[in-house]
Amino acid sequence: MSTESDAASVPPPRRRSVVRIESLAVLALFCGVLSFLSPYFLSVANILNVLLATSVIGVLAYGATFVIAAAGIDLSLGSVLGLAGVAGALSMNQLGLPWPAGVLVFLAAGAACGCMNGLIVTLGRIPPFIVTLGTLGVARGLALVLTNGAPVYGLDPAFVYLGQGRPAGIPTPVIIFLGVGAICHFVLSYTRFGKYAVVIGDNESAARAMGIRVDRLRVALYSLAGLLAGVSGLLFAARTNAGDPTAGVSYELTAITATVLGGTNLFGGRATIFGTLVGALIMGVLQNGLNLMAVSSFYQQILIGVVLVLAVWLDQINQRRAKR
Amino acid sequence: MLKRMFAGLSLAALALGFIASGAAAADKPVYAVLMKTLSNPFWNAMEQGIKAGAEKAGVDVLVQAVESETATEAQLNTCNTMLERKPPALISSAINPTILLPCLKQATDMNILVVDLDFDLDHDIAKKAGVKIAFSIGSDNYAGGGKAAEWLVSKLGKDAKGPVLVIEGLAGNGNGGKRAHGFADAVVKLAPGLSVVGILPGDWDRQKAANITNDILTRNPDLVAIFCSNDTMALGAVEAAYAAGKGDKITIIGFDGTTDAVKSIKDGRLGASVAQLPYLVGSQAVEKTKAVLAGGTADEMTYVPTLVLTKQLFSENKDPLLQYLR
Repeated sequence: MSTESDAASVPPPRRRSVVRIESLAVLALFCGVLSFLSPYFLSVANILNVLLATSVIGVLAYGATFVIAAAGIDLSLGSVLGLAGVAGALSMNQLGLPWPAGVLVFLAAGAACGCMNGLIVTLGRIPPFIVTLGTLGVARGLALVLTNGAPVYGLDPAFVYLGQGRPAGIPTPVIIFLGVGAICHFVLSYTRFGKYAVVIGDNESAARAMGIRVDRLRVALYSLAGLLAGVSGLLFAARTNAGDPTAGVSYELTAITATVLGGTNLFGGRATIFGTLVGALIMGVLQNGLNLMAVSSFYQQILIGVVLVLAVWLDQINQRRAKR
Repeated sequence: MLKRMFAGLSLAALALGFIASGAAAADKPVYAVLMKTLSNPFWNAMEQGIKAGAEKAGVDVLVQAVESETATEAQLNTCNTMLERKPPALISSAINPTILLPCLKQATDMNILVVDLDFDLDHDIAKKAGVKIAFSIGSDNYAGGGKAAEWLVSKLGKDAKGPVLVIEGLAGNGNGGKRAHGFADAVVKLAPGLSVVGILPGDWDRQKAANITNDILTRNPDLVAIFCSNDTMALGAVEAAYAAGKGDKITIIGFDGTTDAVKSIKDGRLGASVAQLPYLVGSQAVEKTKAVLAGGTADEMTYVPTLVLTKQLFSENKDPLLQYLR
C-alpha cells in the first residue's frame, strides 16, 4: 500500500504538446546572451533579418515534423525544395504561366515528389531513410538537368513580392512562415490526420489495431512534407529572384535539427509544430549571432553541432526525470 | 539541475563572446568583405591579400564567408546582416551573379560603395536590379592566355612552325574560354607559322585532357605545344605526352600556378603555368576602395596582372610579382 506503487499504477498526465518550456528557455537564453554580446542584435532590423533568414528552413522543418511524428524521416526535403523552385521558375519564365499558376506548380511539384516518397516507402516496404536518400539525388539531379546547371534568373515582379516585399514593414516570407506555422499547428494538434500521425509514430501496430489506415496516412504525410518543401522552394525563389538548381543543399539536416530542438521526438510519437518554429529560431538566432560576432564559418559549424547535441541531451535528461 | 545547466551554458556563451569579439577600433572605418568560402587555397590567398591591403590603407576589414560554394541563401543572409553595421563599403564575391542582388540593391540605396571581387557579378543584370557597382576587380583571364602565348613564342621563336592544341575547361564561355581564346588569338598573331588545331573541352579533368592529348597526337604527331585552361588538365596532358615518348618535344602550359604545377615546372616536365595572383587582387581591391571613397576613380573593370611561372623565373627569382604568389 505504499504511495510508490499507487503512483506507478496511474499513468502520468499526457502533456499537451504545444511547446516545451525548455526550447523557449533556450531561445530566450540565446537572445539574452547575444543582446549582451552584440549591440546590433536587438535592433528591429536585425530581428527582422533573423526571422527572414529562418523562414525558408522553418517551413521546410514543418514538413519534417509531420514525417518524423509518424516515426519516418525525409532526407530529400532540400533537394525537393530545389526541384520545386526550378519547376516553378521554369513554368513562369519558359511556359509563360501567370504567377498564380506558377505558385501552384511549386506546390504540385513538391507534393508529387513527396507522394512518390510515400508510395515507395509503403508499397515497396523500403525504409524511408533509404528511399528519401535516393530521392535526394534524383531530385537534385533533375533540377540540374532542367536548368543545365545555371539559375533561371528574373521572375515576375508580382511573384518576387512574395519573397522581397515588406507589407507593413514585415518581410513577406516571415508572414508566410508564421501563417503556415499556425495552419500546420492546427492540423497536427486538432485534426484526426495530425493526431493519428502521432499515434502511428508512437505505436504502429496499435494504430493498425485501432483501425487507422496507416499506409494511406503515411503517403499523405510524405506528400504534405513535399508540399511544404514546395512552399519553401517558392519562398527561396522569390527571395533570390531565381530558380536555382543548387537551392537547399543540406537544408534537410537543419530542418531535422530544428524539429528535434523544438521537442519533437526523432523516433516518433511526440511532435509539436510550435516547438519546431522555436527550434528553427534557435538555429537562426545562433547563426545570426555568430555572424554579428564575426565568428569564422568554420567555428560556426562546430558550434551548431555542439548546440544540437547539448539541447537533445538536456531534453533526454528531463524525459528520464519525468519518468521516475 | 536545469538551472545549473543554463548557468553553465550562459557562462560558455559569455566566454565565447570574449574570445570572438575582435577589437575593432571605433575611429577606423570598417569595410565589409563577403567572400564565398575560405576552404580553398585561392580564396585563402585572397583573404590574406585583403587583410594586408587593409593594413597598408589604414582601414579595418570585417571578412566573412559561408561554408561552401553552394550556400547561396546563407551568403544572402550574411550580406543582410553585414549591412546592419552600415559599412562605408561592401566588397563581395558572390557565389552566383544573382544571389546577392537584393542585398546589394539595399546597399546601393544606403549609399554604401559596392565592389565586385573576382568578376562574379553581371553588370547588365546588376544595373537592371538597381545595383550600382563601383568597380569589378580580378585577374584578366584573356590577357593571361595571351601572356602564355607570348612566353611560348619567346621560347620557340617567331618563325616557329607546327600544330598547337588548346584544351579549355567546360565548353562555352567562362574563365576557361577566356584563357583559351586569349592564348589562341595571340599565338597565331605572334607566330604565324603556328596553327591551332582545335579548342577542345577538357572539363577541368586530368583524365579527359590526357585522352584528348593522345587522340590529337595520333592525328598530329608533330604537335609542338599544348595550352590548357588549368593546371589539372595540363598535368594530365604532360603525362600523356611523356607516355607517348614526346615529353621533351612538346611544350605544355597550364593555368593557376598550383603547387603541383610548380613542382612539375621545377622538375622540367610542365613548361609553364599562368598564375593568378589572388593575394594581389585582394589587396588592390581594398586599396582602390579606399581611393574611390576618398573621391578618386577606378576602372569599371579593373584587371590585376597574372604571372607566367617558368623554371627560369624561379631560378632567377627576380620578378617583383613573385612576392604576391601564395
